[in-house]
Amino acid sequence: MSITINIWINEERYEKLQKAGLANMAQEVLAGLKVIKVPVTEEQKDKILKVFPTAKYDSATTKSIELLPREVKDKIFDMVIEKQSLEIMDEFLKSY
Amino acid sequence: MNYIGHGGKEIVERIMPREQAVEAIKGLTEVTIRGQIAREVIDIAYGFFTPLEGFMTRADVEGVCNEMKLANGVLWPIPIVFDISDEEIKEKNIKEGDKLLLKYQDKPMAILEVEEIFTYDKKEMAKKVYGTDEEKHPGVARTYNYKDKFIGGKVTLVNEPVMNPPFDQFFFTPKQLRQKFAEKGWQRIVAHQTRNVPHTGHEWLMKGAWLSAHGELPVEKTVTGILVNAIIGEKRKGDYIDEAIVLCHDVLRKAGYFREDVHMTSIALWDMRYAGPKEAVFHAILRTNLGLTHHMFGRDHAGVGTYYDPYDAHRIFDRIPEGALNIKPVRVLEWWYCPVCGEVTYSGLCGHKDKAQGFSGTLIRSIIQDGVKPPRLIFRPEVFDLIMECAEKYGFGSPFVTDRYLKERQDIFTLPDLK
Repeated sequence: MSITINIWINEERYEKLQKAGLANMAQEVLAGLKVIKVPVTEEQKDKILKVFPTAKYDSATTKSIELLPREVKDKIFDMVIEKQSLEIMDEFLKSY
Repeated sequence: MNYIGHGGKEIVERIMPREQAVEAIKGLTEVTIRGQIAREVIDIAYGFFTPLEGFMTRADVEGVCNEMKLANGVLWPIPIVFDISDEEIKEKNIKEGDKLLLKYQDKPMAILEVEEIFTYDKKEMAKKVYGTDEEKHPGVARTYNYKDKFIGGKVTLVNEPVMNPPFDQFFFTPKQLRQKFAEKGWQRIVAHQTRNVPHTGHEWLMKGAWLSAHGELPVEKTVTGILVNAIIGEKRKGDYIDEAIVLCHDVLRKAGYFREDVHMTSIALWDMRYAGPKEAVFHAILRTNLGLTHHMFGRDHAGVGTYYDPYDAHRIFDRIPEGALNIKPVRVLEWWYCPVCGEVTYSGLCGHKDKAQGFSGTLIRSIIQDGVKPPRLIFRPEVFDLIMECAEKYGFGSPFVTDRYLKERQDIFTLPDLK
C-alpha cells in the first residue's frame, strides 16, 4: 500500500474540483466520504513529518499522513487543481 | 457491598477528616507538587491504586521493574513514584520519618509520610518497564524527567478535590462506582478505556465486548453493563479536548446508541505512560479496583510508535499467573467499514479484507480538521454536533488541544481552602 495524504472533500473543495473538471479525481470511501489521495514517497513523508510536527503517519490502519494543518492541506489541494495532477508533492515541498 | 480490590486487598480511602486535617498539617514542611503527582495522590487516597497506600519504596520499584510485582508479591507493572530534587531535600532538610505537606494549586492537599528516600537508575527503570531506553518514547522521557531522588511512603488526603463541570458528573471513586453498579443490578461490567471522541468503530468495539462479557447470562434483565472510563491526564497539542471526550461518549447513550440501562461514562485521573502491554495490565488493575469484571483490549492498546507489536497487550495476559488478576480480558480485533457488507463490521468475521476500509481516531480527527462531517455510519451526527459545541464552550473555538487551551483551560478539579 503506498503512502498518501488524504484531502477530505468538503462542499467548497468539491465545487473547486467541479469547476476545474476534476470531480472524478475524488474517490468515495467510508460510506460516502469524498477524498483525493495525494501520493507521497517515503522520503517526502519523512520531510513532511519534520516540517509539520502536528502531522501523524498512520502506519497501522490507513498508511496515510493525517493531521496536517488545514491551511497546508488547502495549499496542497490548490496545487492539485492548478497542476490538474495528483503528482505535486515534489514541487509543493520545494518551498519548505 | 464488596470492596475487595486488586490483590485481594480491601479498598481503603486514606482521607483525613477536615477538622483533624487543619490541626495535622500545622508546622509540616511544605512541598509543592505538579499535576501528575496530584492526580496520583487522588488515585492512591481513594483506592484507585489498591493495594498501594502511598508512593512506592525502593523494594516496590525493584519488584515492579524486575518481576512486575510489588514487594508484597502482588502483580504490578508500572512504578508509581514520588520524585524530588536533591536540592529540595537539602534545602528543606527532609529526612526519613518526616511528614510532608503536599501542596497543589497553592492549597494543602495531602500528607506524605517519608518512609524512605532513595535513588534508582532511571535508565534501568525505563528499560525494564518500557522495553526501551529511547527518549522519544513518551514513557521513557517521563522517567528521565524525574528528579534525582524518590520518596516512598504513605499518602493521606487532607483536602478533598472538588471536580469542576463537566467532569463532576463523571468522577466516581471506586466505592461510589461499586454502589452505582449495585443500584443498576449489573453483575458483569466491561471496561472501555478511552482517550478519544468515539467513532462507530469504538461504538462497535463496546457493543462486541458487551456481548462477549454477557455470554451465558439470561437476557430478560440487564445484568451486564459497559463502563466507559476516560483517561484524564496531561494533554498534548492536537489531542481532543477532555470535555469533548467525556461528553461525546456520554451522548452515545443519551442519543440512544446504547440503552440507558447498559452504559455509563466515567473518568480516571492518569497520565498515560504508553507502556503497551504493561500499561494494559495496569489498566486491568485500575478497573479491577473500580469493581469491573471484564476489560476490553483492542489493537495496540496503550502503545506508541512501533515499540510494541499490535497484540502484545493481548498476549501479556497469557503470562499472568492464575489468580493474580481478578478481571477477565476481552481481546478484540478492529472493526472496519466494508463497502460490500455495507456496514461497519468486525474484521474477525468479514471476508472482504481486500475491499475493507479501516478507519482510526487519527483519520477521523483529520476529517473533522478538514471541515468535513463524516457519514453517520462512521461518526454519529450527535457526536459531531457536540464536538463543535464543546469547541466553542471549552476549546476556545477548537475541539483539539491548542496552546491557549493548555494555558487557559479550567482545571479538572479545584482544591478548596482548608480552614
